Amino acid sequence: MCKYFISIFFFFLFVDGYSQEQKKAIEETEKDSIVYKSPYGIRLGVDISKPILSTINSGYGGFEVIGDYRISKRFFVAAELGYEENTSDEDYTNSTSKGSYARLGFNYNAYENWLDMNNEIFLGFRYGFSLFDQTLNSYTPNVANEEFGEYFVPVEISNSLTASNLNAHWSEFVFGFKVETFKNFFVSASVSYKVLMSAKEPENFKTLFSPGFNRIFESNSGFGFNYTISYLIPFKKI
Amino acid sequence: MKKIIVILLLCIVIISACEKDDFCVQNPITPNLVLRFYDTNDRETLKPVPSFYVWAEGKDTIFKDVSTDSIYIPLNSLMTETVYQLSTENTVNKFTINYTPNEEYVSRSCGFKIIFNEVTFTSDNTWITDFTPETLTTIDNQNVAHVQIFH
Repeated sequence: MCKYFISIFFFFLFVDGYSQEQKKAIEETEKDSIVYKSPYGIRLGVDISKPILSTINSGYGGFEVIGDYRISKRFFVAAELGYEENTSDEDYTNSTSKGSYARLGFNYNAYENWLDMNNEIFLGFRYGFSLFDQTLNSYTPNVANEEFGEYFVPVEISNSLTASNLNAHWSEFVFGFKVETFKNFFVSASVSYKVLMSAKEPENFKTLFSPGFNRIFESNSGFGFNYTISYLIPFKKI
Repeated sequence: MKKIIVILLLCIVIISACEKDDFCVQNPITPNLVLRFYDTNDRETLKPVPSFYVWAEGKDTIFKDVSTDSIYIPLNSLMTETVYQLSTENTVNKFTINYTPNEEYVSRSCGFKIIFNEVTFTSDNTWITDFTPETLTTIDNQNVAHVQIFH
């Protein structure tokens, strides 16, 4: 008998829920306004500027995958993962940094789309970190002098010295745009300004390039450029 | 769209612009040895060396027929010893500097500088009567004179 009651109970609970749902649906159709739905989903892509740079510049190699997930009308959770290798050839030193990095953050779409368009002009913030090794390939001690130049001519010292397990943490401000060129297919370009928060420096040397950060300027800031293609896997439309 | 292109161009200009670490403005990076010459009778007064010639062993002259009371001379960072010949009025005085060179990183544009540790000076005292100090723990700048020479 008890079992029977419980079953009845559940039955009504279900009916109740069903009727609620139906009511809502009716309300929606009653509103009668043309709402252009935009897709929500995960967008995955690659940075195509890095492979191109790798072929042009022999001292550089890199690869980056990007992804974002739409959480509201204007906000996207965004992430980038990559690997970079770069040789910094300076006047007195030559060093190579290589390692991987990740950037996590969000984008805010400031662009008001027409009809069912899905373009973006976005502002974003990222937290980035990288793990890398830096090798000092060669260096020449700076013994030059205004008056007599190099009286004792220095020699280039090329016993390479590797500092491993270096890391860097930074925050990043991104500005860019995304254009839907084909259905669910996006092309995006962005620039970023990075501010180094902390870095583990090699002994008696300095990190001149960090993967994901690019060149670290004297003021502990940096710039980045991304040119990406990505594909949206839509989950739903709202 | 035009606006974006303008902003992007601006950003590219900023990115490619020169930063202050592109050129090494510090000079010199590696310190030179600074010598000052004093009167041997009145040890507080500077006394110029007349007709002064300076050269390192096996090298060209750096100072040729000058009259000065202070000079700075570079040290050989590849060796642990630099021998200078100081000549005045055809009298040559051998001045030897022994040290341990060490590399110290400065910056991206300036690279590594050399600092000299455990410095000792010796002289065969022909026209130089005396000098002070005989040893220095380190030479890492050239803001002050390192050696006072009396003649």
